[in-house]
Amino acid sequence: MKIQVKMIGPLMYEAGFSEKEIEVPAGTTADSLMDLVKVSRQRPKIVTRNGKAVAPDEPLTEGDRIAVSPIYSGG
Amino acid sequence: MLGWTGNILRVNLTTKTYKKEAYSEEFAQTWVGGRGFASKILYDELEPGIDPLGPDNKFIVALGPLAGIPAPNTGKAVVAAKSPLTGFYGDGNLGTRVSEHLRKAGYDALIVEGKADRPTMLYIEDDKVEFLPAGEVWGQGTYAANDWIYGKYGKGVGVLNIGQGGENLNRYAVVRSLEGRAGGRPGMGAVMGSKLLKAVVVKGTRPIPQADGPGMKALGQGDLKKVQQIDKEMGWSVQSTTGVLSFCNEVAGLPVRNFRKTHHPDAWKIDGERLNNARIATYGCPNCTMRCGITIHDKEGRESELDYENIGLLGANLEIFDLPQVGSLNYLCDEYGLDTMSAGCVLGFYADAIDHGATDGDFKFGDAERAKELLRLAAHREGKVGNLLADGSLRMARAFGRGSEAYAMQVKGLEVAAYNCKFIPGQALAYGVAAIGAHHREAWIITFEIKHTTRESYGPEKAAKVIELQRIRGGMFEFIVACRFPWIELGWSLDNYPKYFKATTGLDWTLDDMWTRADRIYALIKLHFLREFPRVTRQADYPPAVWFDPANADTDGPIAGKHLEADKYDGLLQHYYDQRGYDRRGIPTKATLEKLGLGREAAAAEAYAKLS
Repeated sequence: MKIQVKMIGPLMYEAGFSEKEIEVPAGTTADSLMDLVKVSRQRPKIVTRNGKAVAPDEPLTEGDRIAVSPIYSGG
Repeated sequence: MLGWTGNILRVNLTTKTYKKEAYSEEFAQTWVGGRGFASKILYDELEPGIDPLGPDNKFIVALGPLAGIPAPNTGKAVVAAKSPLTGFYGDGNLGTRVSEHLRKAGYDALIVEGKADRPTMLYIEDDKVEFLPAGEVWGQGTYAANDWIYGKYGKGVGVLNIGQGGENLNRYAVVRSLEGRAGGRPGMGAVMGSKLLKAVVVKGTRPIPQADGPGMKALGQGDLKKVQQIDKEMGWSVQSTTGVLSFCNEVAGLPVRNFRKTHHPDAWKIDGERLNNARIATYGCPNCTMRCGITIHDKEGRESELDYENIGLLGANLEIFDLPQVGSLNYLCDEYGLDTMSAGCVLGFYADAIDHGATDGDFKFGDAERAKELLRLAAHREGKVGNLLADGSLRMARAFGRGSEAYAMQVKGLEVAAYNCKFIPGQALAYGVAAIGAHHREAWIITFEIKHTTRESYGPEKAAKVIELQRIRGGMFEFIVACRFPWIELGWSLDNYPKYFKATTGLDWTLDDMWTRADRIYALIKLHFLREFPRVTRQADYPPAVWFDPANADTDGPIAGKHLEADKYDGLLQHYYDQRGYDRRGIPTKATLEKLGLGREAAAAEAYAKLS
């Protein structure tokens, strides 16, 4: 299925891209997506799905917009 | 006393006299420094009701026991006074070499009283204080003034100065230092201007008394390198604070069009990636490990040092999605010495008020050229519009009427930060109960709300989180005086700070000891508020009304149809009061004040209003 993935802040340099549409297998979760975009599962981050927080094991769906951000703390 | 110099320099501009005053160890250990020293001194020495722009106000520069010590991010100073914007205690914190120099000159704080008879520069070198004429640079911006000072003294001095904004008593004029450092949002620059004080220049040559100087030096310098390395590995300073813009846009927390909207398809044009791509230089505070001052060429080709708040409020909030133009607006604020955050909110409010027919005027969202002109008018109090803008959004709203106060984005008169809390209740609380008026500096809990709780919740855990962060951000870092970024952005352990504190003062304090001081200072600043506004109600701790308005809810995106709910917010606020030991007005009870050792201060407040 096709999803939109946005990498925020320094994570874009880790993943090697800022924003792109990618094809992922059905059943991909937020956590398994990290393996696909080469971001460590252990790295502190917040993953959102269509603007809302998503649990690491939640299956994604076609057309989702996933954003992966470092944990900002308001400066 | 070790760690503290034990002395305050008191200067009177009216009489052109000065005095080195010793303070007690008890004062040092009760109030520590920075915000603690400033709030206590002003509480004891200012009569409630004085004009913040009159000669009875006092301008304070207050340092902490870590100021001037080489350790992560200690090159900071607190500036404080009664605020001409909010009408009660106000302060700010900025990176400056005054931090190190004033400590080496032998002082932990500077108190400036009275009013000069002509534009003046204070020059402090160890025990010497000179009242020098500054007429040559009065009327000039902070960059020109800084160059003039460096021309006289070289760069081996600490400098605080003001621009035209402070000189013309713009209520959100700030104090400036170095390339693009600024602080004192609630008009600390205007207080300097009201005293005809253009600049404070300090040179200190003596060692700072410490319990374990060599140990602290080794520890501090080692840790400076460690934190730098962490930043390199995490890559935080590649986009610095502006990295958060994309996050805010994703989760519908970006200020757009005077906070009416929460996201925008053009936000990417002014995001952290674009900022890094446009970088020509990077500046930071003394002893910084992760310099956040990403500098670009603005539209006019000048160097402009940008961070998220500037870009959020002068860019997205005004629907100016053009990075060089945002750079120009930021440059002008720095040049004139205006708070970029309040300037962005004031301009946003002005455009919105015109849009909604609350006032006549000529300013549309997206018009960067007109925004530049308006900043010039506001900094110089030029004409009707300039004077209006110079007074801040709350006074503007009161002048306009027509319900415009609902969308003047401020709390207690201080404009909000670049986080749109239309549907982020805990952060709205953080704005509501920040000590000096709306500020994100004191508590920022947006990730906690989105990731660890839910946005829908108004539960006591959110109030607890705000208090936890206030103790650290608005408390410890503001009285020990160091920048919180290594901890908050890179995960540098809080346990390091009692270590530095012990190496320099010899005192074995725990973090709980720090929180006690933080709670005491928060309670005292509330007493400042009570004495100025004896008829205070809990409404003073509410965020802007527009966030509660269903008609203002987003029509699309992740929070479509959602907004704050007043009865639920009130419940959240009550959780905060209950956990703090404050009464229904948000004022510390007598029992709480006693527990915090504020018995005498409570008695001084009771002359003006009842305590519960």
